Amino acid sequence: MNFWEKVTGSDLTRDWEAFGARVKDLPDDYREAWDQIVAHLFPYGDFTGRNLTPILDSALGLLEVSAADGQSVHDVFGDDIPGFCTALAGGEGARTHRDRWREQLNANVAKKLSRLGG
Amino acid sequence: MDDLTEMLKGTLEGCVLEIIGSEETYGYAITRRLNELGFADVVEGTVYTILLRLERNGLVQVTKRPSGVGPPRKFYALNDAGREELAKFWAKWQYVSSRIDSLKEGGR
Repeated sequence: MNFWEKVTGSDLTRDWEAFGARVKDLPDDYREAWDQIVAHLFPYGDFTGRNLTPILDSALGLLEVSAADGQSVHDVFGDDIPGFCTALAGGEGARTHRDRWREQLNANVAKKLSRLGG
Repeated sequence: MDDLTEMLKGTLEGCVLEIIGSEETYGYAITRRLNELGFADVVEGTVYTILLRLERNGLVQVTKRPSGVGPPRKFYALNDAGREELAKFWAKWQYVSSRIDSLKEGGR
């Protein structure tokens, strides 16, 4: 990633366009699963979402291979796409926006309390 | 047998290691093998996330091979660290299962 890409996010746009082209070739139910996966992985993104690109790429790879095998989406994910996304993002302990906000809040409260001498 | 998933959770990684240990294989085949063994609830997505974890922890060697249809498949084989981890898994399993068996038999 060069400076231009970092500022404009043009590398991200390019990645997302490439994903879109691959998703277009998938069967309908797989495209639906992809949308769900993207939605469930989004909270795990960092500020720009660049950390998600390799994770999404591997998820899309799994969708492509299983669709080519002729498996149904249910065979691949069961009833648990959110669980799959959690595991994909690095397990239960994966940090999300919410975790960071929570930490920030806790730190602020602790600071205020110590200033009060409490 | 239903509702095995919760019980299996901690051991599934060891099962996948054992399957990879006997021959180089890929995600779909591992899932099929587990289903044949009677773990009907195990889906490919679950196996896939385990494989990613094994890869991240440096326990497997991954090779991409072209498949008959569609994109290339990832094949997995154990490396030395993986074989060590597998041996540890069986030692732990031996311990847990012998403790649970003796609990059931009322021994100590």
